[in-house]
Amino acid sequence: MEKVLIAFAAALAIGLSALATAWAQSRIGSAGAGALAEKPELSGTVIILVAIPETMVILGFVIATIILTTK
Amino acid sequence: MSKVEIAGLKEVLKDTLEVLREEGIFQIETETVGFIDKAEEEYISTFSMDQKALSEKLLLEDMKLRLEELFSLMPKISTRKSYIEPDNIIETLRRLLPGHIKFLEGLIKKKDLLQKELSELMRYKNFMDAIEPIIGGVEKTEEIDFIGLTIKEPEAIPHIRRLLLKITDGRYELFTNRASDGTIAGVIVAEKVLSEIIRKTLSSERIPEIILPSTFEGLSFTERLKRLNERISEINRAVEEVNSEVNRFTLRWRPLYERTLEWIDERLSIMKATAHVFETRMCFIIYGWMPSDSVTTLSRRLTERFGGRVTLVEREIFEEDLERIPVMLKNPPYFQPFEIMVRILPLPKYGTFDPTPFIGIFFPLFFGMILGDSGYGLALLGLSIFTLKRFRKKKHVQDISKIMFVCSIYSIFFGILYGEFFGEVGHKLFGLEPICIERRTAVIPMLYFALAVGLFHVLIGLLLGIITGIKRKAKKEAIAKFIDILLIIATVTGVSALCGIIPERFVHPIITLTIILLPILLITGGLLAPLELIKSIGNIISYARIMAIGLTSVLLAFVANRLAGMTGNIIAGAIVAGLLHLVNIILGIFSPAIHSMRLHYVEFFSKFIESGGRRFEPFRKI
Repeated sequence: MEKVLIAFAAALAIGLSALATAWAQSRIGSAGAGALAEKPELSGTVIILVAIPETMVILGFVIATIILTTK
Repeated sequence: MSKVEIAGLKEVLKDTLEVLREEGIFQIETETVGFIDKAEEEYISTFSMDQKALSEKLLLEDMKLRLEELFSLMPKISTRKSYIEPDNIIETLRRLLPGHIKFLEGLIKKKDLLQKELSELMRYKNFMDAIEPIIGGVEKTEEIDFIGLTIKEPEAIPHIRRLLLKITDGRYELFTNRASDGTIAGVIVAEKVLSEIIRKTLSSERIPEIILPSTFEGLSFTERLKRLNERISEINRAVEEVNSEVNRFTLRWRPLYERTLEWIDERLSIMKATAHVFETRMCFIIYGWMPSDSVTTLSRRLTERFGGRVTLVEREIFEEDLERIPVMLKNPPYFQPFEIMVRILPLPKYGTFDPTPFIGIFFPLFFGMILGDSGYGLALLGLSIFTLKRFRKKKHVQDISKIMFVCSIYSIFFGILYGEFFGEVGHKLFGLEPICIERRTAVIPMLYFALAVGLFHVLIGLLLGIITGIKRKAKKEAIAKFIDILLIIATVTGVSALCGIIPERFVHPIITLTIILLPILLITGGLLAPLELIKSIGNIISYARIMAIGLTSVLLAFVANRLAGMTGNIIAGAIVAGLLHLVNIILGIFSPAIHSMRLHYVEFFSKFIESGGRRFEPFRKI
């Protein structure tokens, strides 16, 4: 039972953070694409904006790894 | 960067601008702010062209339009380069140009007509080729008429038969066959008296009839086919002739006209630049910016060329000029390709740090740490060498290839440290062992390593922020950044002590230090300073991606090899492994590149970069 709970906790950590990142990136990505169509010189800024929410899933991944590897 | 004023006699303005254009190191300032005192403003006005210069400008602009029209008519073939100076023959060329445009237009019109006729004949030939085998046996008499038609859909045939049955009372024959262009060719054979009503019905039903060109009337099928082939050959020959005539003309005249267009562009750019020149009653004045190390060279050149008639003076830069001083990135050759990554963002302000050297050091390092596979590194090395040799003239591709080259070396190096060569293939084939760490199993040590790198990188950023603050005389900002550094070190030490990595006796002094430093941080950095501190700690944690992305890369390589092994067949296994490794290499180029860039742009740059620098755009040949 404990193993199941640990696996479930790790799945939640990565899954929820991945969903949050995906949602944020979809919104930022579509707005960024619109902005780039008007001002191509904003490409650097748009890359940064799209990359910012990725931290969530990276942290989720780290937490999931720690949950699975800590004994 | 130096603030420069060039003044001289009006008669040498054009020549002075030509010298500046040739040197390509001088950015003309369009505003007089910071250059002219209020008291002097009434004596200085914007330079206005005289009647002669204005009419020359209009003439050149008109000729440029005509040349562009001529080039649009010429085929894109490689021609030699002309080195003739058009200065002396420009008037002759201007007179020749309308005739040449007319000549080419005539040839192109002739070619269009020939091609139109050819396309008609080819349609008819397709029809003939399709229909001839099926009506060859039909007896041709005076009373019988043949009506050709093109049917687009096979489903239309029954409809046509019904119509014909209705109007001819069954006195017709319809032969159909598929033509080589995919349409259905059909021939209606009926009495001549019925021809008119059949044609009218077909027309009202929008079924296109194939009408013979008049030259083919009265000829038998065989004769028609022969005549058709002859005419097609004639047209092809004529088109060839027109093409070679156009090519001959292009080879002869294009180089000269291209050189003329270049010359016109040069003249026009100089004329446009005069709009940013100022004048007094006798003299012209050009204000601008140029690299400090080139001031002496340009000054000497102007003196040599114009004697005392043109003079260059370096002016003092005031604090209010800082916003307007253009920014130029100048780095040693190794770092120059990395400037492309700085130019993606707005440039840093004048007087702050150029981050290019830091990107040049840390970007390949992070890339190598993430990809960390000698096999993938070698593949990337091969690709970078190929693109370097293949695209010698494309500067952007060259820069990216050079970055890729350095990154691949780091990937190979880290691959050796991690003991990875296409995943665990290196271990199986050559007994390759990790020198320092095995990423696939040592997840937590890799996490600590990534966070340690992040701590180091962010602290360097904050240190640069302190130096920038001191340079800009923003003492409070510099102190706040210094306290940030101390608090980050305190936090890391505290967490390490609580986790048992270092002795627990460090915890109390750290808490005391934090309590002392926090109020100072609030005073120097404002109410948002603690938030900045938390952001900095978050930034360090963000470097965990070095471990996370690296782990996904190594696991993908592992999966590729496992799947290949599961096929049980050497060839199938090699294909599966090859394809999966290829996917991983592609991901391995993009993912580490994007994440390394992000670590710089978001985590590192935010600590010291002040964007908003004005790009240095010197007046030069395009």
